Amino acid sequence: MGEMNLVQAINDALKLEMQRDPRVVVLGEDVGRVGGVFRVTAGLWDTFGDDRVVDTPLSEGGILGTAIGMALYGMVPVAEIQFADFIFPGYDQIVSELAKMRWRSGGEYAAKMVVRTPVGGGIRGGLYHSQSPESLFIHVAGLKVVCPATPYDAKGLLLASLRDPDPVLFFEPKRIYRASRGEVPEGDYTVELGKARIVREAKPGKPAVTVIAWGAMLYEAIAAAEKAEAEGIETEIVDLRTLWPVDIDTIAASVEKTGRVIVVHEAPKTCGFGAELVALVNERCFLSLEAPPVRVAGFDTPFPYTLEMDYLPLAHRILPAIVETARY
Amino acid sequence: MVRARTISERMVALQRDAMVGFHTSSIGVESSIVAAVLAVEPGDWVFPDARGWYAALARGLPVATYVHHAFGSAADPAKGHSAPDHAPARAQNVVPPSGVIGAHLPQAVGAAWAAKIKGETTGTLALFGAEVAASGDFHNALNFAGVFGVSTVFVCRAQPGDDIVGRAVAYGLASARVAARADEVFAVVREARARKGATLIEVVGTEESLAADDAVVAETNAELDRAITEAKAAGLPAPATMFDDVYAALPAHLRAQRSLLGGNARG
Repeated sequence: MGEMNLVQAINDALKLEMQRDPRVVVLGEDVGRVGGVFRVTAGLWDTFGDDRVVDTPLSEGGILGTAIGMALYGMVPVAEIQFADFIFPGYDQIVSELAKMRWRSGGEYAAKMVVRTPVGGGIRGGLYHSQSPESLFIHVAGLKVVCPATPYDAKGLLLASLRDPDPVLFFEPKRIYRASRGEVPEGDYTVELGKARIVREAKPGKPAVTVIAWGAMLYEAIAAAEKAEAEGIETEIVDLRTLWPVDIDTIAASVEKTGRVIVVHEAPKTCGFGAELVALVNERCFLSLEAPPVRVAGFDTPFPYTLEMDYLPLAHRILPAIVETARY
Repeated sequence: MVRARTISERMVALQRDAMVGFHTSSIGVESSIVAAVLAVEPGDWVFPDARGWYAALARGLPVATYVHHAFGSAADPAKGHSAPDHAPARAQNVVPPSGVIGAHLPQAVGAAWAAKIKGETTGTLALFGAEVAASGDFHNALNFAGVFGVSTVFVCRAQPGDDIVGRAVAYGLASARVAARADEVFAVVREARARKGATLIEVVGTEESLAADDAVVAETNAELDRAITEAKAAGLPAPATMFDDVYAALPAHLRAQRSLLGGNARG
């Protein structure tokens, strides 16, 4: 065991899997000699060399298109997109090709790969270095979508993603790349995809609210929950970890217990993943609900540079939602 | 060549009669497909576009399988998931064409690149039309192929007046322009395959008439007659098969949706 931050935990997972599985190849812009713009791939090029840690031309469509070809041929590419905001030039290769390869070939071909990319705001990155496009991938049949919030989960989920037979979009919350620290076991372990984690349990006997969050916003939910406790409100927090396929059973069990649900995400509210989560909760838990489900989300504007802390659904916006929902 | 043309003519007629929903005719451009596939190494991977549907047959995909796919029948290896002329042929190392024109080009580069990383000699062959030269995928493919020195042969169908090979210089690729004649295409592709690195080949024009071969025509038509009868008799895939192969295993949300189909959704 040792304490690591999110960057170190992801780096550790990559190193471990590259040692274990010669099919794993890391490619992307500046992932080699530089070690990645956030240093996530630091040291890999020195260990594994040019063939397995590849600095590519600046073209996301080229990175993802060639990575799919590698995957078809039996490699396990890990394509880094420097910021999730820049994934769109390669979006067609993900949506039309990667997600559909197994299906359109009737199972004859598969393109197993992991696309790693930093997401989210709070780093003064402005509108092109701050977005959270997860719902645009959850909507596409054939993809799995993961977003860790702790170093332990980051390593375990990445190892599980690399070994999963399906393509995985691995979103890394860059605001907490270094701020999120925790114990990470040495060596091999996985965190099963599709399993949420109850981060904080609501104690019985008081009004309670379930808050669903992931990535950097998990910590905002925790901060709001601590303040809500002082007001006599219990908050049960679900960290989704895997966004799709979503662990609706864990969510439903929590909402059936608390009768109230709030979804927190950085992405714009409209058609964000919160919309789907609320719909699923309504389908599954309608008769348990004591209050309307609430979304505390980014606004339906582009992501602002100067006003990013006003845009993000931080604890000061989550707390009133918890209080109002508990007292509805 | 004659076999490819006979099948394409038959498929054009079937499309006209609304027996199949779609066919990308390869009449006149067979050399850029058949000769190119035969010229590369037998173990090389082929990334055709839809018009290059014959690539899989040139490698041995049975006509019956091709026709089942065209009819989207219960015996279609793609389970009716994709439109005609997008058949998978894993046993032949032929990747199913995409509906997105040109999307397969960087993939062809990636597969050859993977072989290179693994220390294998496998090369790849990508088939496409001149319209693809306008796309971002074309640029990405040629650029990455040049930068990483992979063994991909790009074969582009073009018309007189197109100048596709001119692009090769900028990407540091070898290139050749050749008339749409099987012997010439074969020779140029064979030479490209022997070369280290990638080559862009422009096959210019069409070949309106092929040397008559009545025996092949008769044999192919008989094969098609049997295949069409079989495909019609096979019926459609079971509705639940649309949920196959979305993921390697069926997740809970798809299991729930699949159950909505019931036993006999189409009634």
